[in-house]
Amino acid sequence: MMLVPCLSRSVCQVPVAEGKSVQQTVDILHKKLEQLGAVKQGSFCVDCETYHATGNVSGNPTKLLYVMHNSETPLSCLALFEGGPCLIADANFDVLMVKLKSHFQNAKGHKVECRGSRYRYCDFLIKVGTVTMSSSARGISVEVCCIRVRVETLDFPAVTALTLGVFPQVEYCPCVVPGDCWNLVKEFMQSFLGSSVPELPSVFAAKPEGLFAPADSVDTMTQYLELFNKLRKQQIPGSNVR
Amino acid sequence: IQPCCCGSNDSIKKKRLCAGEKMEAPPVTVMPVTGGTINMMEYLLQGSVLDQSLESLLHRLRGLCDNMEPESFIDHELVYLLKGQQGNPFILRARRSLSHPTSPWHLRYLGQPEVGDKSRHALVRNCVDVAASHSLPEFLNEMGFRMDHEFVANGHIFRKGAMKIVVSKLSRILVPGNTDNTERLSLSYLVELSVLAPAGQDTVSEDMRSFAEQLKPLVHLEKIDPSKQRH
Repeated sequence: MMLVPCLSRSVCQVPVAEGKSVQQTVDILHKKLEQLGAVKQGSFCVDCETYHATGNVSGNPTKLLYVMHNSETPLSCLALFEGGPCLIADANFDVLMVKLKSHFQNAKGHKVECRGSRYRYCDFLIKVGTVTMSSSARGISVEVCCIRVRVETLDFPAVTALTLGVFPQVEYCPCVVPGDCWNLVKEFMQSFLGSSVPELPSVFAAKPEGLFAPADSVDTMTQYLELFNKLRKQQIPGSNVR
Repeated sequence: IQPCCCGSNDSIKKKRLCAGEKMEAPPVTVMPVTGGTINMMEYLLQGSVLDQSLESLLHRLRGLCDNMEPESFIDHELVYLLKGQQGNPFILRARRSLSHPTSPWHLRYLGQPEVGDKSRHALVRNCVDVAASHSLPEFLNEMGFRMDHEFVANGHIFRKGAMKIVVSKLSRILVPGNTDNTERLSLSYLVELSVLAPAGQDTVSEDMRSFAEQLKPLVHLEKIDPSKQRH
């Protein structure tokens, strides 16, 4: 039996509720999801480290290299230059970056982490995370992933537990145009986020019409990176990252 | 508990797996593995054989090694340099399979050979291996690396326990990026005996030396210091 999942993910920032702390707002979101009928399923973590190239000729802006990890894919990491090429590599890439420390310096104070709980509601996977930088909470992220599973050949009794995410043994086959899937995701997000629902993420707007490209994890991580950079700039106006 | 067809002794898991039900992914409750902190070392001995002696060597290796038929390979390797403000350039080797073009790229960093115990039989150096996606060459360029040279290697791989024996013919690429048009670099095959092991395992080089003895006089595998040949 071959399961063919289709994934469309959206990551957005949720503003902190009036008069409440970050943790209190997160608790409110958890309650809303539980009231809807979502079931908590463990936790997740997405983190991002920043490296800057040393030894640049003056006049050229320092290149920033981001190395991100996602607990959904613990053996991989994603390295990217903002607006530039990206690389999916195994976890040893971090060891390589240590060897490259004289060429690429790790801006340790700029490490951003997003941690929180995972909730499952029918075909949706919702991850509500607290984004922290240098141990101070900067904001709240919500990632909503819509999974539609189409069973290719039914040789066994119906699957009662759906597989989540993209697994090596499952063939990834997109079956929905992102534009159409977005409306479904947006409507679902409205049910518990109210008015704080974002517009179509820029990674999808930039894609041509047609089948969702298989570089799904890159699109998700790019959304996280945009969110992290926005939060970085927001609360430290005098930042010297760049 | 009776062992079942899938070999699992856990009774609940056994029932679910036998019923064909896919296990739901366990919730992730621990930090992701962020790279090994173990320093892996490559132990290496090298030698060569003339083309006309290749078959005898392959025959001997078939007899001594684990696999019945050797694996053959055709790889394209690109060597990248990153020139820093001081010191020697940082070298990375990117390798892809021409016989399995959809396989990930293999990126390798090799450190300076460990200086120390002269009686140690093999060359020992720090080694970091990273599997990477096909955007690797473009990504390395963005990091500031520039390709220094490239070549095609084709040959056979044998294994004996943790030891890997690679017999390869190296070819020069005449037009950059064109792996169809190559020219053999020499009239011989490069023979490399290597082991990847965590730092501090000194019995490794002894085992390698004993194995190398069994290949004499067909091929003499020695410790060759690459820094003596650096450009």
